[in-house]
Amino acid sequence: MRETPLSNCEREFILKNISQQRRLDGRNAYDYRDLRIAFGVSLGCCHVELGKTRVLAQVSCEVGEPKQTRPHDGVLYVNVELSPMACPSFEQGRQSEEGIELSRLMERCLKESRCLDMESLCIVSGEKAWHVRVDIHVLNHEGNILDCASIAAISALAHFRRPDVSVNGEEITIHTLEERNPVPLSLHHMPLLVSFTFFSQGKYMLVDPSSKEEKVMEGKMVVGMNKHRELCTLQVTGQMLLLKDQVLRCSSIALTKVTKITELIHQALDNDKQARSKGEKHGFAVLVSGDKVTANRLPKIEVNVEKFEDSDEMDEGQSCSDDADAQNGIEELEMQTEAAPRESAVEILTKGVGVIGEGGASTWLDIPQENTKQQAAKKRRYKSVAMEEGIGS
Amino acid sequence: MAEQFKMAQPKEYFKKFLENDIRPDNRELGEFRPTVLNIGCVSTAEGSALVKLGNTTVMCGVKAEVAQPDADKPKDGFLVPNVELSALCSPSFRPGPPGEQAQVLSQNMADLLQTSKCINLEDLCICPGKLVWVLHIDLVCLDYDGNVMDACTLALISALKNTSLPAVTVDEDTGDIKTDPTSLSNLPVSCCPVSTSFIIFDHNVLLVDPTNEEERLATGAVTVVVEGENLVSIYKPGGSALTDDQIETCIDRAVERSREASKLIKETLYSIDR
Amino acid sequence: MASFTVVKKEDLDAELEKGPKCVLRGQTSDLGCLTRQDGSVSLSQGDTTSIAVVYGPAEVRINKEKIDRATVEVIYRPKIGLPRPNHRKQERIMRNTLEAAIAANLHPRSSISVVIQETEDLGSNLSCSINSACLALLDAAVSMNFMVASVTVAIKENSDMILDPTKRDETEAKSVLTYVFDSVNYQILTIVSCGKFSRSEHKKGLTLAREAAKSVFQFYRESMSKKLLMSE
Repeated sequence: MRETPLSNCEREFILKNISQQRRLDGRNAYDYRDLRIAFGVSLGCCHVELGKTRVLAQVSCEVGEPKQTRPHDGVLYVNVELSPMACPSFEQGRQSEEGIELSRLMERCLKESRCLDMESLCIVSGEKAWHVRVDIHVLNHEGNILDCASIAAISALAHFRRPDVSVNGEEITIHTLEERNPVPLSLHHMPLLVSFTFFSQGKYMLVDPSSKEEKVMEGKMVVGMNKHRELCTLQVTGQMLLLKDQVLRCSSIALTKVTKITELIHQALDNDKQARSKGEKHGFAVLVSGDKVTANRLPKIEVNVEKFEDSDEMDEGQSCSDDADAQNGIEELEMQTEAAPRESAVEILTKGVGVIGEGGASTWLDIPQENTKQQAAKKRRYKSVAMEEGIGS
Repeated sequence: MAEQFKMAQPKEYFKKFLENDIRPDNRELGEFRPTVLNIGCVSTAEGSALVKLGNTTVMCGVKAEVAQPDADKPKDGFLVPNVELSALCSPSFRPGPPGEQAQVLSQNMADLLQTSKCINLEDLCICPGKLVWVLHIDLVCLDYDGNVMDACTLALISALKNTSLPAVTVDEDTGDIKTDPTSLSNLPVSCCPVSTSFIIFDHNVLLVDPTNEEERLATGAVTVVVEGENLVSIYKPGGSALTDDQIETCIDRAVERSREASKLIKETLYSIDR
Repeated sequence: MASFTVVKKEDLDAELEKGPKCVLRGQTSDLGCLTRQDGSVSLSQGDTTSIAVVYGPAEVRINKEKIDRATVEVIYRPKIGLPRPNHRKQERIMRNTLEAAIAANLHPRSSISVVIQETEDLGSNLSCSINSACLALLDAAVSMNFMVASVTVAIKENSDMILDPTKRDETEAKSVLTYVFDSVNYQILTIVSCGKFSRSEHKKGLTLAREAAKSVFQFYRESMSKKLLMSE
């Protein structure tokens, strides 16, 4: 489905507001929307809400061969897909330009920043290593997918645990989670992406753009940074020129944002850990509160199962309708099965060729071994088909 | 006249026949088309079978290869079924990557092998942790006239029963793999699942072994796979709703068909050995 | 590729003590949880959760157009990795099921597309996906012939029945059956099975699932009436 374009007056309205230091949702220029980080029941499953933008990230792993060029390292895959789930204009299976840019930036943030210790993923050098995969699913597109995705991905990596492995000579044992406690991945640091959008030739700048603001922006700068003030990636796109101090200002804003978000991630990780150790309910199901009008909750229900012990009773208790047509249908077939008690004999035509059943159309009659009697029978049948057709018309 | 009637109102045309409890190809509602089974027709494959179900033709070939097993299952071999609905079998398929129907059929075959457990994957082990057999089971549809599912299952099981694997020796020092094509051993196939497909016509009439025309008019489909008295799978992907009794009728017919078909496979195999 | 869940030993023991389970796990729904779609829902059944969204009736691509009814598309998105053939099979099952439920002839030459994202698969995943799709269709106010409810039953080696099995129950069971019923006569729309079973086990499972499906329909009704009271 095509995206509904923004009308000219709406575009002008948004721009006019920005020039008067106002945003549609009442935020200040450097404000993030509300951020919520939640973890699922399975390890390495993270769900991030940034305002109404929602992203789900899942980390998974398996044992495989390391890359030939880097025999001592594990492998990290990053997969970002924009599916029609998030927004009707995204297409299934085809990566748009936007999607490619997004996955490239995520790769730069996670892979090329070397935040994950790849050598710790090696099991046997050159033979066996862990392949770690991060799948990022965008669930709802309300602007600034990028920041949201980077938060989700890094939180999921921090939350993930892999099974323990022991190497004994040539034999590799992968321990189940019951046998040994799973091992967390070793993360050196947590790089996060912060996007800045620019309007009116770089005169105005906004943090965490909504989808409408993204539509009217002139350009965008993405800063990848960790809380130790280390830059991992920097990208400027769009039709505008920036001054040096604008870039510097962005990076200092990015630092405060990154520090705050990293704190939030740690807090969320701690909360989840506590809930797990206390044996409290955790995961997504708990997050839905029954208080909202749109949300509903049903406690577990015991299903009454007395009926099926007695099969006769069951037949009576069936709630199936006595739809006359349906009954007819059954009778018709039952009649047929009764009328045709065919335990047809197997006929061996030649070595390795057997036949059962007869009737129906088959134009494959040129088996030379087929006896003439059967052929005659089949021809007769064709004739009667023709006759039937005559009646049908 | 009949042709025009059929073209203009295929459903009405069909109903006229059903009023007399007969199908346009002169079959009764619960009757299968003639089933021709030719086992061992491809001499270059490790096992093969050709099945004709009326006009529907499916050729199955089993090709064996050696490979390394997965780290977590060092003893298990691999079964890789693949169904190809090529452009030659029907005008409704196009050349190129497999369509949804072919993918679903391949998945059905894989599920069937897995749930019926007719082949113990450990039987495919040559050297634990190092070498196992991979059986590529290629099913090619040569003529598509409905009910490819049943034809595929029959071809698959017959071809597997016909499969024999050469003895393999691994040189301890050099790690070379040698196969001995003179000493063949039969692949043990422990059971013989048989599938029976039905379509639902006009929301209430069940027809067994549908032709392509019937499949197009169908409002739903049911496939029951039976092995002896046990059910291996009931697969009814949506479509018209059925009552419990109708499902029971399908199972009854499937059990009956299973007896016939396993006899066919057994006797045909026996005829080769003679 | 796989992800892992930690199951505590105490929880497991507690569960084992209870014996055979004929309990439908607690359910939660959150209608309209996303903003860009015509209908959306996040549904949980026990720890299994999924999100389904619906677009439509909307314009249809010309090569998929049907002149007498709406084209129903279903996209299933697994959480880990790219969609594989078994997901295609799942998509097809869901599409056929929803096609029967949606009154497609009311919207000729249009498309109704359903996207389902697996968010947590901890048992009875197909059921959860189908149920979330049905709720999303209700949320999008797409005209339907009837509602559908799906229930999964696992059969243990000793032919005990487990209703709405968890992931662990599923792996331990000898077979897993998923049924879908309509809301009018509770007739069978879909059966998908995995693993061998006998005829009597099938009958037992069917009765159990049908009984459970009635509470699922009740849950749909509650959720919808709760939401609709607001807008009045």
